[in-house]
Amino acid sequence: MSSQRSTSSNKITDDKLNALILRLQTLLPQLDQSRHGRVSAAKVLNEICSYIRRLQNEVDGLSGRLSQCLDSMDLTGFDAEIVRDLLQQ
Amino acid sequence: MKRWRTKREHQIYSSKLFQALCRSRRTSSSTSAKELHQTADRVLAITAKGTTRWSRAILAAPLTAGTNMKKHKKAKVTVHTRSRKPVVNREKKKLPVVERKLKALRRLVPGCRKLSCNNLLEETSDYIAALEMQVRAMTAITEFLARGEAQAPTDRLGSIGNM
Repeated sequence: MSSQRSTSSNKITDDKLNALILRLQTLLPQLDQSRHGRVSAAKVLNEICSYIRRLQNEVDGLSGRLSQCLDSMDLTGFDAEIVRDLLQQ
Repeated sequence: MKRWRTKREHQIYSSKLFQALCRSRRTSSSTSAKELHQTADRVLAITAKGTTRWSRAILAAPLTAGTNMKKHKKAKVTVHTRSRKPVVNREKKKLPVVERKLKALRRLVPGCRKLSCNNLLEETSDYIAALEMQVRAMTAITEFLARGEAQAPTDRLGSIGNM
């Protein structure tokens, strides 16, 4: 495999790489092993990257909504205390 | 990695984030989405308690926007080496697919550009789990506040108990 020709410091063996890729696969709901069996490392990495990007975009969207929400609210000190305590329960 | 799934962690993050947002609102009249996202990331990193590289990288990063531009310029300089190589290597000029994907992954996870493959995948697992929690927590806060807005202030407390 290509990892043997790599000149970088990644002296990782193929077995180790595959083990780690399998672990990553468990993180991806859409590539659940029970349904897909073996998936290529490249595909898993691809899905991982897409998934991270998607999560980051989701947080972006949520940030927008939340900032709008907060701007339109008038949180007095009292309200803020209450909300914080309730979030902690 | 498993801790990001616990209710406790979710509550800790939610209340810390909310506190931070209230604090920033006291200093400036409105918060941009970008600032809020930055705050959310920093609170997430703090909640990680310095155990992971990505969290330390987020906290070490300056609080300004658009700092990524410089890094992209540096990356382009390496294109010149291509002209020194003979035509023979043209087929192999692209890295193998797995290497390329790992490179892309390194760019996505904070602070992991030069990390070894092994550690990179560890960091990625934790980062993804943390991001998922961040999404859940921010969604909950937004819905919670939006619901509070729609009702009269005195009703707000009653409905919260039903959450």
